[in-house]
Amino acid sequence: MAFDQQARTSDVLLHQGRLKRVLGSCLSWLYLACIYGFIFLPVAVLVLFSFQDGRLPVPPFNGFSLQWYEAVFADRKLTAALANSFLVATTSSVVACTLGFLAAYALARYKLPGSALQRGLLIAPMTVSYLIIALGLLAVLNTFGIRLSLWTVGIGHVVINLPLCFAVIYASMGDHHINIERAARDLGASDFKVMTLVTAPMLMPSIMAAFFLSVTFSWDEFIIAFLLSRFDVTLPVEIWSMLRSGLNPKTNAIGSLVFLVSVAVLLVLELALFGRSRKS
Amino acid sequence: MTTATLEQSERRKAWALVAPALLWTVAFFVIPFLYMAAMSLWSRQGRDILRVWNLDNYARFFSESALLRGLTNSLEITLTVTVLSVLLAYPLAWIIAERVPKRWQRMALILAILPFWTSYVVRSYSWLLLLSKGGVINQALLGIGLISEPLEIASNRTATVIGFVHFFVMLLTLTIYSNLIQLSPNYRRAAADLGANAFQTFWHVILPLTLPGVMTGAFLTFVLCIGDYITPQILGGNNELVLPQIIMLQIGRRADFPMAAALSIILMLAVTAAYVLCARWLKIERA
Amino acid sequence: MNRSHSRAASCRLFSSVAAFTLAALAAGQAAAADELNALVWCDHTDPALIEPFEKANDVKVNLKEYEGTGAGLSILEQSQPGDWDVMVVDAVDVHRVIDMGLLGEMPADALPTADLFPELRMEENNTKDGKTYAVTEKFGYNTISFDKTKVDPKDMEDLSVIWSDKYKGRIALYDYYLPMIGLVQLGLGKKTADLSDADMPAIEEKLSAMKTVSKQVSDVVSSQTALATGEVDILVGGGEWITASLAKDKPDLDWIVPKQGAMRWAQSIGVMKDSKKPDLALKFVQYILSPEGQARLATSSCYWGMPTNQKAGEHLADEQKKALRWDDQPAYLKNTQLYPIPTAELDQKMQDAWTNMMQQ
Repeated sequence: MAFDQQARTSDVLLHQGRLKRVLGSCLSWLYLACIYGFIFLPVAVLVLFSFQDGRLPVPPFNGFSLQWYEAVFADRKLTAALANSFLVATTSSVVACTLGFLAAYALARYKLPGSALQRGLLIAPMTVSYLIIALGLLAVLNTFGIRLSLWTVGIGHVVINLPLCFAVIYASMGDHHINIERAARDLGASDFKVMTLVTAPMLMPSIMAAFFLSVTFSWDEFIIAFLLSRFDVTLPVEIWSMLRSGLNPKTNAIGSLVFLVSVAVLLVLELALFGRSRKS
Repeated sequence: MTTATLEQSERRKAWALVAPALLWTVAFFVIPFLYMAAMSLWSRQGRDILRVWNLDNYARFFSESALLRGLTNSLEITLTVTVLSVLLAYPLAWIIAERVPKRWQRMALILAILPFWTSYVVRSYSWLLLLSKGGVINQALLGIGLISEPLEIASNRTATVIGFVHFFVMLLTLTIYSNLIQLSPNYRRAAADLGANAFQTFWHVILPLTLPGVMTGAFLTFVLCIGDYITPQILGGNNELVLPQIIMLQIGRRADFPMAAALSIILMLAVTAAYVLCARWLKIERA
Repeated sequence: MNRSHSRAASCRLFSSVAAFTLAALAAGQAAAADELNALVWCDHTDPALIEPFEKANDVKVNLKEYEGTGAGLSILEQSQPGDWDVMVVDAVDVHRVIDMGLLGEMPADALPTADLFPELRMEENNTKDGKTYAVTEKFGYNTISFDKTKVDPKDMEDLSVIWSDKYKGRIALYDYYLPMIGLVQLGLGKKTADLSDADMPAIEEKLSAMKTVSKQVSDVVSSQTALATGEVDILVGGGEWITASLAKDKPDLDWIVPKQGAMRWAQSIGVMKDSKKPDLALKFVQYILSPEGQARLATSSCYWGMPTNQKAGEHLADEQKKALRWDDQPAYLKNTQLYPIPTAELDQKMQDAWTNMMQQ
């Protein structure tokens, strides 16, 4: 009798435990579904209404049309803005990565007085809003009478991306690399050669990560590009002025295009990196 | 060569390497910033900028409720966004790290941050269309009879918060996830051995261990959110202006750089205050 | 990877980046056979308007758009002399630019003044001491736009609807303080030309009431979006410039000049005094004022508006003329007033009132 009772209790407990687990995982999946829904909602709607047959990118959906994509490709201002964005993003990222790498190398490998202060100084722009960085630069450029152009946008983008590149590369400079560098030096390599032919290749993954992060930020940055440009503008600024010049699904079309292309690039990178890491 | 001169030449080399980055930061960040701080103490009179030191701009900020409200709106919105984003992102990161099978985790994570690659401006615009009375959300809810009147979720603070939370959930999921997977499973096993249930394990072990990562993410959210102009400008319907909007009004409508500078310094102080509050969890370290 | 290989690779990467940069820079330079820098409103950025001029004169027109005279003057202040060749500005603000010494004189006989609607020649605004500095190129109205299926059009005939409770939460206010404060002044039964410091308290009170019953304060696109998506049913400050381009997809949108009247906006174009290419700049102005240029400007992608040159009518389709309400203009012109022209102090006060209203 007592034994029976005990068995039943443990049975119930076991049952309860299983129930709890099932419930828990059900809740997890439900949550996952909801939040993915939230995350993808704007993108899905954006893409859907880029095919809208009509001028209003809101329900009802009138039918399928490619007219807004044609409009995007016919718009020379948009294509020029795309090229400008690409140019600014790559150039500013190359500069930011180079400067960031050199500084990280120096601060990680040599003992310099005030190195903590230098690190802090290099990271500092990260904690300041882009708007403030842009305003400060704008005021100084005005005072010196320097004309705004894509160059000034590039300068601003290096300012915001340098801390990022420095931090990412600096964080990956482990002490275990020192021995390899020392070996190379013992074999007669000059400091410059050690840095460019030994250290840089060893750190390539993090340098590339810094580079692509920096390209992403520069590509999508609005306020600096808006305040520091004049005639030639980058894509976000062009989209902004497109938005202000009236409502139509062309904005949806360019948004969807940018999204699809970036995702494609991302997947290629992911597969390339993922493939390599699995091989090794 | 003596050790002293060797050390000297080493040091010179190191300076040469670090100099370009330092010079760039000083020339294009520190000097502009100091210039702006100085400018905030000048004032605009008619068409000229008067280079006389005074605190008029700051006095005006504290005496004009429209300006002061900008700061309180900014703080309220930013804090709401930060808290909501952490609350939504933590479970997501947790589920991806704990419930999703290992081989799918990377995919799940990439999916969770994929919309990050739509243009920022376009994303806000997309939310504007979604949230309006004739938009997808209201039409769908009306269609299935869940509501009888369209919800007032566009062109107000709610819309701004939704737009922000959407962006920062993605960002925070990434930070928190990378923190969670670094935790050794031994911690959990040890806690279980000591008789802790799942909740206790989470509360006393996992949460404190991931707190630095969460705080770093939250601080980043705070900085990016309080300084953003686009999202409130597109989604907020010019109701309850935030500080960056007011700063842009100063430059855009009246070229009042000194006032814009003063407001920027105030924005800066808000960020510094947040930094001081989170400082003990924030650090950038070398592996 | 051996050493020379990796060095070659990095060299290649570097040189291709450099080559790309140089090529892009060269392309930017090569395209500039001759350039014209124009500071304009967004309707001038339509390629359909600009490209014919560029092709005919083998010139590249660089356009920078701005909104609101304050923003335009702010850009000019931040520029060097000679940076700009042409500027578009609110007709009522032409004197502000003249007084800053920035606009140059145009030969009056080079402009088709005789073809303009008489009400739009606006000599007192465009000229000073008998010299012509600018010419009016486009005009329209800031009044009340609405969705005629959702509100009673009868109610729109009285300006006081903009601060009444009847359509609470269904009104958007156009985010430009000058015409909006002007409208309030009309609603109070006064003239915009008489607007002074003394009127401000009453105006501020009404602005506050308007904010209370409105849903949002919005720029061009969010106004359009709000009307198109049904977020609001009334746009105060709107007019044909916001409804005409939506006419095809949203035929229910309408606008009206209430019995108290409405604001008339007019934009002028002029040549900058320090322009390095005054002849080319004048040519551009002449193109914009030509019947073809006027028709293109009137139906530009950013917003529509009436052309000032009456001969533009020959180049507009009947449907376009109907959307612009070509035939109703005499009545509208009679019952509309120009923007207020405040002194610097009053302007500051008006801006503060507007900001306070938004932040209320």
